[in-house]
Amino acid sequence: MVQVESLTKLYGEFTAVSELTFSLQPGEVLGLVGPNGAGKTTTLRCLAGIIPPTRGTVRVGGHDIVRDAIDAKKQLAFFTDEPRLFDYLTVWQHLNFIARIYQVADYERTGAALLEELEIANKRDALPGELSRGMKQKLAIACGLLHSPRVIYFDEPLTGLDPLGIRRMKDSILKRARNGAAIIISSHLLHLVGEICSRLLILKNGQKIIDGTLEEVTRKFSEQPGDANLEEIFFRATSETNPAAPAAAPPLPPGNER
Amino acid sequence: MISALFYLQYHTVRNRLVSRFKRLKQPKYLIGAIVGGLYFYWYFFRYLFRGYAGGPQPPANLTWPPGHLLLFELLGALVLFVIVLMAWLVPHERAALTFSEAEVAFLFPAPVTRRTLIHFKLLRSQLRIFFSVLLLTLFSRRFGGNAWIHALGWWLILSTLNLHFLGSSFARTMMLDRGISNRLRRLLVLGLAVAMVAGVWVWAKRTMPRLNSADITDLGSAMDYLQRVLTTGPALYLLYPFRLVVRPFLAPDATAFLGAFAPALLLFLLHYLWVIYSDVAFEEASVEASQKLATRLAAARAGNWQGAKKNQKAKRPWFALSGTGFSATALFWKNLIGIGQVFSIRLWITIIVIVVIFGFAFAGKAQSHGSSIVAEFLIAIALGYSLFLGPQLLRLDFRRDLPLADILKTFPLRGWQIALGEILAPVAALAAFQWLLLLIGAGLVFYLPAKLEGLGLAIALGAAVLLPVLDWLLLLIPNAAVLLFPAWIQTGKDGPRGIEVTGQRLIMALAQLLALLLALAPAAVVFTVIFLPLNIVVGPGAALLPASLAATAVLAVEAGLGVLLLGKLFERFDVTEEHTR
Repeated sequence: MVQVESLTKLYGEFTAVSELTFSLQPGEVLGLVGPNGAGKTTTLRCLAGIIPPTRGTVRVGGHDIVRDAIDAKKQLAFFTDEPRLFDYLTVWQHLNFIARIYQVADYERTGAALLEELEIANKRDALPGELSRGMKQKLAIACGLLHSPRVIYFDEPLTGLDPLGIRRMKDSILKRARNGAAIIISSHLLHLVGEICSRLLILKNGQKIIDGTLEEVTRKFSEQPGDANLEEIFFRATSETNPAAPAAAPPLPPGNER
Repeated sequence: MISALFYLQYHTVRNRLVSRFKRLKQPKYLIGAIVGGLYFYWYFFRYLFRGYAGGPQPPANLTWPPGHLLLFELLGALVLFVIVLMAWLVPHERAALTFSEAEVAFLFPAPVTRRTLIHFKLLRSQLRIFFSVLLLTLFSRRFGGNAWIHALGWWLILSTLNLHFLGSSFARTMMLDRGISNRLRRLLVLGLAVAMVAGVWVWAKRTMPRLNSADITDLGSAMDYLQRVLTTGPALYLLYPFRLVVRPFLAPDATAFLGAFAPALLLFLLHYLWVIYSDVAFEEASVEASQKLATRLAAARAGNWQGAKKNQKAKRPWFALSGTGFSATALFWKNLIGIGQVFSIRLWITIIVIVVIFGFAFAGKAQSHGSSIVAEFLIAIALGYSLFLGPQLLRLDFRRDLPLADILKTFPLRGWQIALGEILAPVAALAAFQWLLLLIGAGLVFYLPAKLEGLGLAIALGAAVLLPVLDWLLLLIPNAAVLLFPAWIQTGKDGPRGIEVTGQRLIMALAQLLALLLALAPAAVVFTVIFLPLNIVVGPGAALLPASLAATAVLAVEAGLGVLLLGKLFERFDVTEEHTR
């Protein structure tokens, strides 16, 4: 469903992502983890077609995200860490707008069901300014799921959600995966990754350290079976002493966050 | 403790200045600083050394005609009186010192007394006043007088007003705490003001000859009458405290200034003591105010000036949008809702009613045709303003949506579709307003001399066809500019400031004007080529329409190509460099 080959993103002379290759099948949930500045957000932005890769290819549902952008984008949804909403559109107007963008004919039924599922149906006529951070996040999710995407990217999906919201979000992600969606989650919350991801990709300084199932990754970074949890694995994988971990790159130029 | 707050203020200013100097390493800021510096020199600083409009050095000591000094003093005092009156009448909220969220987070829980916080607030406001004084002095100095007298005079006026605003907000809070409602306070203040004005009016009626229209034949005689009212009656005494504040600024020489400065300074100190010794709790309201400020700043940073100004209300869409169809229509639909935040249906109806009443009022008096000609002239001016100001005011396009460019880029739309959707709403709103004006103008044509009727209608028809395409082109230019040079166009209110940014804006304005002239040139040539020969054969009325249609066709082709280009620019736009300044 998602094929990434030799993805490289340069900002001037700075390498944000280097020669990243991996693929994702329908129903898989990939956890994209790494320390701050590892290149996670840049990777997700390239995968979503927001920024063009400098080199390499990204295919979503068989469509190249650069050459065949429209067909590729029709199949995906990208949830940023901060909900990005139009402040003059109400909750329902957001859904109406997104429906037309993605050509969702029966959006009224799907939209109403999503609002119910996310428990913001009573905020249908509210503007984003009247919503809490968590509700904005829910609205962004409702907009993203309206066209039933086959590929979903999450950048820190649990930020701002209350405990019940977190539980529902996890369930929702797993439900979409069971229904055949390919999902990538970028997060620092390793317990979330451990709970819901079937695969793990660790990035450091723009380079892939490891990509595999949780068992494969655990096996590689455990000295003895069962001696390390995901947190310990993360530290081992990204430590400077790990021979696979790339050396730190110079800092980014101002304005180019990763 | 105050030393820590001094430290905070000093380093805030210092670091801000250092970062401004550092960014001059970037050519865009360096060029902007040079152009901005030249602009400020040309319009303000050169008058420190030379006279107004290249004339002689303005006199250091001003000599006013007899009686004029007192009149100016009273007029200044009158202005201050109105400002102070408004400060007591208009606000309704409790006293709140505006702090940033960081200041609230660090200072409010810290062991800092309320009085120290007020001192900090006053210290910070002095910085703002200093820059205001500098600009006002540069401006007023152009007309003569001693620069130091102007500067100190302005400082006294602004600082005393600043303290008065703060003191009045504390007094308002105290009244609310003691059960005096805003309504009662307003009634009391208004009653006092009315009593003062009535006193002056009664005195003038009893002691001065009755005023009739024949007495006021020109500005001079009106000034004379006003002078008599203000300088010989109770107004002289009622406005006395305000006169004390204005007097140093108007002092013609250093001796007069020193004489006027002492009482004004005393008044300033009394205000200071009033503020410092007012024991009013402002913390809760300040926390709320800081949150509102942060929300406004966030909205402004996101390019939403309207949201930065006040709380928005949900608006109904202008038309129903189905889930399927041409996707770019969704952006048009969305931006129309956004425009509805500014130009609501109620506002449109109000505009239409006013314009129609205005049109009929003129038409009713049009026996001599003169009023109709004036009305047509006013409509032409309004159309001209709408052409050049409209695209700057209606920013519901890429200029507003640029902070959400990453979201737009995830949409399965081609660049040109997004460009078209973004630009349509302001074009439609502007064209609707212009057509309304043209409709009124066309209606008034029938009150013009008969020989002008045909020409008037032809101009209205030609303009109706031409204006939407012109709007389109005029909106394309700033939209292309914001995608090409995002760091040069301010998408929010809280962008970088300073001389260099003024310079950048000047450069961009000139570049946009040049681009517009280039875009208009081919259409102007086509218009001229068609209009001139037809004018000879069939006359100007009949020649205007085909010439306008041909020019519109040329502009429409340019507009179409412009949208394609804008789409390409958006596709190439790199969101990671979006906020690089």
